Amino acid sequence: EKIDEGDERYKDLKGNKGKPKKKDELKKELELLLKYTDMNHGPIGLSSARAAEILARDGPNALTPPKATPEIIKFLKQMVGGFSILLWVGALFSWVSFGIQLAQGIDSAFDNLYLGVVLALVVILTGIFAYYQEAKSTNIMASFSKMIPQQALVIRDAEKKEISAEQLVVGDIVEIKGGDRIPADIRLIFAQGCKVDNSSLTGESEPQSRSCDFTHENPLETKNIAFYSTTCLEGTATGIVINTGDRTVIGRIASLASGVGNEKTPIAIEIQHFVYMVAGVAISIGILFFIISVSMRYKILDSIIFLIGIIVANVPEGLLATVTVSLSLTAKRMAKKNCLVKNLEAVETLGSTSIICSDKTGTLTQNRMTVAHLWFDNQIFQADTSENQTTQTFDQSSQTWAALSKIVTLCNRAEFRPGQENVPIMKRIVGGDASETALLKFSEVILGDVMDVRSRNKKVAEIPFNSTNKYQLSIHETEDPNDKRFLLVMKGAPERILERCSTIMINGKEEPLDSEKAEAFQTAYMELGGLGERVLGFCHLYLPEDEFPDTYPFDTDSMNFPTSNLCFVGLLSMIDPPRSTVPDAVCKCRSAGIKVIMVTGDHPITAKAIAKSVGIISATSETVEDIAKRLNVPVEHVNRRDATAAVVNGMELKDMTLEQLDEILNNHSEIVFARTSPQQKLIIVEGCQRQNAVVAVTGDGVNDSPALKKADIGIAMGIAGSDAAKNAADMVLLDDNFASIVTGVEEGRLIFDNLKKTIAYTLTKNIAELCPFLIYIIASIPLPIGTITILFIDLGTDIIPSVALAYEKAESDIMNRKPRNKKKDRLVNQQLAVYSYLQIGIIQSIGAFLTYFTVYAEQGFLPNTLLGVRVNWENNYINDFEDSYGQEWTKYQRTYLQWSGYTAFFVSITIEQVADLIIRKTRRNSIFQQGLFRNKVIWVGIFSQIAIALILCYGLGSVTALNFTPLRVQYWFVAVPYAILIWVYDEFRKLLIRRYPGSWWDKNMYY
Amino acid sequence: MDMNATSRGAEGQPGSPHQKRENKQGQRMQNSGREGREEVMAKKTWTDVIQEMKNFLWDPENRTCLGRTAKSWGLILLFYFILYLCLAGLFAFCIYIMVLTLNPYTPTYRDRVAPPGVMIRPYVRGFTIAFNVSESSSWLPYVDSMHHFLAAYNDTVQVEKNIECIAGQYFIQEGDESKQKRACQFKRSLLQNCSGIEDPTFGYSRGQPCILLKMNRIIGYQAGAGTPVSVDCRVQKGNESDLRSVDFYPQSRTFDLMYYPYYGKHIHVNYTSPLVAMHFTDVKKNDFVPIQCKLNGKGIVNDVHNDRFLGRIIFTFNIGM
Repeated sequence: EKIDEGDERYKDLKGNKGKPKKKDELKKELELLLKYTDMNHGPIGLSSARAAEILARDGPNALTPPKATPEIIKFLKQMVGGFSILLWVGALFSWVSFGIQLAQGIDSAFDNLYLGVVLALVVILTGIFAYYQEAKSTNIMASFSKMIPQQALVIRDAEKKEISAEQLVVGDIVEIKGGDRIPADIRLIFAQGCKVDNSSLTGESEPQSRSCDFTHENPLETKNIAFYSTTCLEGTATGIVINTGDRTVIGRIASLASGVGNEKTPIAIEIQHFVYMVAGVAISIGILFFIISVSMRYKILDSIIFLIGIIVANVPEGLLATVTVSLSLTAKRMAKKNCLVKNLEAVETLGSTSIICSDKTGTLTQNRMTVAHLWFDNQIFQADTSENQTTQTFDQSSQTWAALSKIVTLCNRAEFRPGQENVPIMKRIVGGDASETALLKFSEVILGDVMDVRSRNKKVAEIPFNSTNKYQLSIHETEDPNDKRFLLVMKGAPERILERCSTIMINGKEEPLDSEKAEAFQTAYMELGGLGERVLGFCHLYLPEDEFPDTYPFDTDSMNFPTSNLCFVGLLSMIDPPRSTVPDAVCKCRSAGIKVIMVTGDHPITAKAIAKSVGIISATSETVEDIAKRLNVPVEHVNRRDATAAVVNGMELKDMTLEQLDEILNNHSEIVFARTSPQQKLIIVEGCQRQNAVVAVTGDGVNDSPALKKADIGIAMGIAGSDAAKNAADMVLLDDNFASIVTGVEEGRLIFDNLKKTIAYTLTKNIAELCPFLIYIIASIPLPIGTITILFIDLGTDIIPSVALAYEKAESDIMNRKPRNKKKDRLVNQQLAVYSYLQIGIIQSIGAFLTYFTVYAEQGFLPNTLLGVRVNWENNYINDFEDSYGQEWTKYQRTYLQWSGYTAFFVSITIEQVADLIIRKTRRNSIFQQGLFRNKVIWVGIFSQIAIALILCYGLGSVTALNFTPLRVQYWFVAVPYAILIWVYDEFRKLLIRRYPGSWWDKNMYY
Repeated sequence: MDMNATSRGAEGQPGSPHQKRENKQGQRMQNSGREGREEVMAKKTWTDVIQEMKNFLWDPENRTCLGRTAKSWGLILLFYFILYLCLAGLFAFCIYIMVLTLNPYTPTYRDRVAPPGVMIRPYVRGFTIAFNVSESSSWLPYVDSMHHFLAAYNDTVQVEKNIECIAGQYFIQEGDESKQKRACQFKRSLLQNCSGIEDPTFGYSRGQPCILLKMNRIIGYQAGAGTPVSVDCRVQKGNESDLRSVDFYPQSRTFDLMYYPYYGKHIHVNYTSPLVAMHFTDVKKNDFVPIQCKLNGKGIVNDVHNDRFLGRIIFTFNIGM
């Protein structure tokens, strides 16, 4: 099975799409054209009325945005997602028991009604919060993708009008000039020097010329069709609109992208795993104690109320909101580092990325041609290719260089756009093609004002570059007023230039071009070509004064001047150089265990050269071809496993089976895919995903959008990217820089670690909330903590501290470890749950119970008196309940004491959570290694925690519905020794983990 | 809690069968066409989940239960046993220290138990005293409750255990905290018609029930601050004429000062709370009559909204004739 045919879905894109349409539709177009063209006065276009009619029929010329989930569905999803179901069940139980108790005429029935309402409110509020967070992050994107409305110059009612491109209809005649974006799919009826950039559609970055000629059956290939959203680079054209909106080629691809399903993000899977786990614990403990309480002869109704308590105690109500906040904080931080995250969960996905499939042009490279090497005087010189060069440092003393620089300067049609004197040279906008721009900037950097040099050497004749000659030539007067000779300068394909030369300049002297020197030229040419660089040859000739006097009429058509026996001066090679930050970033990826795969439409040699220079292919590794060359054996004889690197050509990829692709992805650590079409990118992505990798893909073109969608995290380019790509992506790189991805990865890994800490922190106190219920049921003591109070911990004191953990710095270099294994390195693993639940949680419970017993004992109820008192304690009619000293208590006095107990328990948990917060700062290092004060937000968290507890205790102590009472000051300190114990114990745990890596302790205690 | 099958703890055993199976699955996936892939994955999840669960519970190859071998279980259980033993010891020690700091005779704080609450006898599940004069079984539980409660007030018991005190002043016993304190006599006979001595049915057989009112005990509480606390009863919400006459015993309607302060059950062993008996001689019959009895005196609070037993009590008569 060939990949090429493998996917019916993409066949559409590969060309056979428009074939049937061709004959019928073109005929129709022709009719249209004739109808709206006045043969004498040029096209008259549609009438406004007719255009309005068609607009009404076809709709506006815009891509339908991807189908969004209705807001209400999104909202409802938040209402039932996560723990919500569990809490709804709790609320339902509350209402049921309220109903039953009301029917029985029990006074306290309304407590259950309120509890149910509170639970429902909790679900609704956290739901609204999550919904709001999601909506907010979506809005960032919405504002981003809103572009300035495009204008189109259209001929209607025989008049030229500027209208919004959305108003275009089939049959409209539009005029396009260089720099415009094509407003719809159009067939050209007139074109002059028109070139378009179809890279967003086909991935080929070479400009393509457009004319009125029908050259190919395939609409994607034929020269007389220009496509919506591509750019016209130069020239002018007039065309008739043949397709608008979603019916354009781009529109069809975009709708294809929306068909590729969105996979669940790794963090979503982790959170789901965590929710299942906690829900599993809650439900099993709930059911277990339901059975226990029923068999202990509690009433069913009571047992149900216990069940509610157990559920509420077990569910970390605030945690999912906290996770959302932490993710959005990271998203904000990433946005500052030029990674705009569309989908919050993608923040972490980036961290677990194990393969990055990166584009070359623009992402790894600067996306501009730059002179990289020179060859003259039989020597190769290297030029500076960094982004903001101001000088060149190679040896410029030779006379040959003087001659070469003159040719480079003069034989060049490119010019800086005016008014950019203060802009750094490398950033100036230039009119001209990529190579000429490179040469212009190069000479401007070295020689200073190029335009001045050109004006001093007036141009008298010129033959522009064309593909048959493969050279460019111009003739200039010299700047030396005494030298009346004309200077002929020529540049072009090196072999063509050499053919026209009989001498070569060495150290400023013309020497005959013998075979030895020609050999040297060949070597240099091959070497530079082997670097993947575009090489140009330069030569000149001083025309003798006697043959070509001042007034000689140069005629470029008859070529009345010599174009052979010239003097060869040198070679210049250009490349789109890598961004200076990229090699470092790639190196970071490598140490972070992330495989970087380059996927480019460029030539394999160029691709490989860039891959080598940025480190995607490391200096020491070889491809199969390299080994074959070194050993001088045929490629087939090389053991494929010996080669760590591979350069795969798109043509080879086309003929590969899925297994072969898998084998390549598996066996080579350094892979470059060259000459690939954007469609093949999707196949590569799928291949990587078959290796169980989390794949990040960068892309900018419309055709990349299926791959971006398919990838675990699609990264669109913010500058060069098309809207479709940005729509399909999960993240937008604002500066198009690969290095930004790496900082994103770092943030993603950090947030994964920190979420672990947050969850460990949050889970711990659940045990301290749960134990009271269990002991209450089993030992029949007065209830130590109420359901409402638990909610105040979960949604009150604990929220800010758990968010604060998101600000924690990494413990060690997180970029030095492998990406996490999706299946093994869970967010919440057994160790984390067990350590939080069964160790720290239990210590916390004990501390809180000590406070509870202290409060009761000092009021007259010694611990032993409390055991087994539940039934009488809660009896409303017993108003002379005797304590350990013989004093008698009314029901309300007991209830008030019980609330004091709640408050004491609450305060103890809060105090111990402070210690819990501190120990969760690190998982392995000592707190003192991490620095107690480095993360200031933690302290904000601690203070907020205590402040909220103080407010609840003393501020709202008089509001009976909240069940808080003003607590005696000393009770705040009862649990402090346990808080210290928690800290000391955890330091001890970390110490053993550091001391004995791989030991039993490490395996069981490290989470 | 143990839901994570692929934990680090279990990592030690390489090539567990379910990993192998996964590999096989992977190969199959590659061999089958792309269209078939989703199908295979769906199948995998269904059969594999059961198999995985089984393996998780008991893996015969590695002899692991819930992902741990016997040795591993032994170690971890031993660890938790020691940990919890230490924690339990620590907790017990803390509780012990905490109890040591307490005064065994007087609670550290008495702010929550004061001011005193009020209770009545008879107490038979609730505060509705409903009976039918003609059916003795309907009022016998009340009478039994009264007799039971008053047994401690028998004149013989009181004379034997308690001393006679000087009425009208607090019986303050200074001296060592731990010294046993004497209690003042409160003879049942003081309650006269409600003593149950002459009328063992406390008037219930005649539709004129007696109710005993007692004030909750609070250590060191000097009720009334010099003036004895008195009691009065009236119909709560309703027709005042439903309650035509009440006799109080002792006639002063007060709790004498000599019964205060209370020193706690450990040193004030034979202390019996003073009582005020109320003989409801003329209550509207065959109807619910809610009655509120209040304490009045200095330091007595009887109008707190939340606590309807603080310094007052509400009970309802429904006497059938």
